[in-house]
Amino acid sequence: MRPENYPSVSQPPSNEFELFYGPNHPGIEGNYALKVRVHGDEVTSARADGGYLHRGFEKLMEGRLWIQNIALVPRICVPDPVPMEVCYSLAVEELGGIEVPLRAQWIRVMQLELSRIAAHLFFFGGHAATTGMYTPMFWGITDRDLILDLFEELSGGRVYHIYNIPGGVRRDLPPGYLERVSKTLDYLESRLPDYDNLLFTNKVFVHRATGIGAMTQEQALDWGVTGPNLRATGLAFDVRRDDPYLVYDQLDFDIPVEAAGDAWARSLVRRSELKESLRILRQVVAKLPHIDGAIRAPIPNPLAWNLPAGDVYTRVESSKGELAYYVVSNGGDKPYRVHVRGPSAMHAVQVLEHLATGARIEDVAQIMFSLDACPPEVDR
Amino acid sequence: MSKLNSIPVAVPVVQQPSGGAGNLLANVFDELTAFCRSRSLFMLHYCTGCGAIELPPAMTSRFDMERLGIQPMVTPRQADILLVTGYVSTKTLKRIILTYEQMNSPKYVIGICSCTVNGGMYWQSYATAKVLADYMPVDMYIAGCMPRPEAVISGLRELMANIRAGRSDNWKDYYRHYDHYLGNQQRLFGENWQTPTDVIGEARHYDQFGPETLGEHTALLERHQTPLLPFEMRLGLGSESNK
Repeated sequence: MRPENYPSVSQPPSNEFELFYGPNHPGIEGNYALKVRVHGDEVTSARADGGYLHRGFEKLMEGRLWIQNIALVPRICVPDPVPMEVCYSLAVEELGGIEVPLRAQWIRVMQLELSRIAAHLFFFGGHAATTGMYTPMFWGITDRDLILDLFEELSGGRVYHIYNIPGGVRRDLPPGYLERVSKTLDYLESRLPDYDNLLFTNKVFVHRATGIGAMTQEQALDWGVTGPNLRATGLAFDVRRDDPYLVYDQLDFDIPVEAAGDAWARSLVRRSELKESLRILRQVVAKLPHIDGAIRAPIPNPLAWNLPAGDVYTRVESSKGELAYYVVSNGGDKPYRVHVRGPSAMHAVQVLEHLATGARIEDVAQIMFSLDACPPEVDR
Repeated sequence: MSKLNSIPVAVPVVQQPSGGAGNLLANVFDELTAFCRSRSLFMLHYCTGCGAIELPPAMTSRFDMERLGIQPMVTPRQADILLVTGYVSTKTLKRIILTYEQMNSPKYVIGICSCTVNGGMYWQSYATAKVLADYMPVDMYIAGCMPRPEAVISGLRELMANIRAGRSDNWKDYYRHYDHYLGNQQRLFGENWQTPTDVIGEARHYDQFGPETLGEHTALLERHQTPLLPFEMRLGLGSESNK
């Protein structure tokens, strides 16, 4: 160390000090940082510090063909990549006027819900670990691997699938795939009581999470909160039901809602969503064998594919909240402008700053994990 | 494959013969140290990019890295391995270099994912550093986008074998060719880039000071670094002009 490079700064005597919370910190979710001012163990102010994962996606996408961007978009949100692919494909299909075959739409719904379950299992693990309980983390990650195995069988990739392309999906289901999905669903359903015993009715977790990081419904709407975090404040808004895409209007599912708006309510909403996703998947597995037909609409030569000029805004419900793409085409073979409306950008910046202020220092990690923000999506 | 292995990744390191060549006891002690070192690797907990998502499965029950003696560690001071999991943006690279310099030697760097090898998917991005080996010596690359947990574990096993055989000492390269690495860092961060670590002093401490440790870039460092203040001034007893 060269302490002479850091001359001491004189300041009035104070009990406050500034603490760098991240980016290299076990309680932070990914490569992200918070600068918190601490008085005793109480946080007096918090400032989000992002940009560690900035890759310039929106600029990169302008330089690649419409079809090449499919390889790029899942990288925006690593734990939950399928909604990214689907949302971008929906935008391109709407611009190009492509009708997606029914079978491809059902396969996409299956992918989306599997991805949601995987992301929620990952979330439970992280949230439990920030309250000092590591067993749920081990269980959640191991159970998530079962879903990754299904993805791998279908697309060849565990995390990034590049399976949904404009026009449909890349290949049809392998023989016997739905039985294996069904088996995994049975197993996950049998695990739910264990999760309840271990985590959701665990006194340690309930006491640690109740009343932490609470926000009201008005605040949530002001701050642009969407998804499970918004539903935890009592507003039943879900893009799947209120602005249905794909075949969600033919499926029967509920929108779980909690009233409290704190970390406990947010984790309970996700716990109920897990069950709803399992319910959706059961319907998809029952329905898919009866839908025949193509899995991909014919698209022109993708290397010389000029989409008509225009702009389009598509949105889907990802596991983090409302995800949207605003795509502008000027009639060329590449997008003119792509804007990604990621849900985490709102959750991890203004919401986290507000909720962390006034909290105790040991709860900051829990608040961040309970918001389920995804740093790569914040920075893009 | 042998052709691939023969391509030097960083500046080639000149291997110096071990000091205790004739001393049997010293040799046994060296072997024992290398064995213990390879079986208790502490891995710094810093998720720099997407590759970090495959580390929890590798660490937890299914693939279980801990059976190899590899454990996550939260502070750089006590860590042996720096895992650079994926692309590094310019802002992250500064932190990685600071972290790397804070780690105690011997230290090992593993570049996971294609992005650390050549920029990968983000080869045309304005915000990422493309080749990690330009900025710090890399001991092992695990390529793939992203590598599976099996690949990560296989790479770590290879690193363990290298440490055991005494082949993995690229950390010395940072001291021997500090001017080269600092030059690349200055090209990216500007010529007044400096870290709080006294790398040149450490190079002398570890007996790695070589002809290429100093150069034009370290001369720039001397120019921009605040000169050492007298003791009473550091205590705030002298003039305030240096503040």
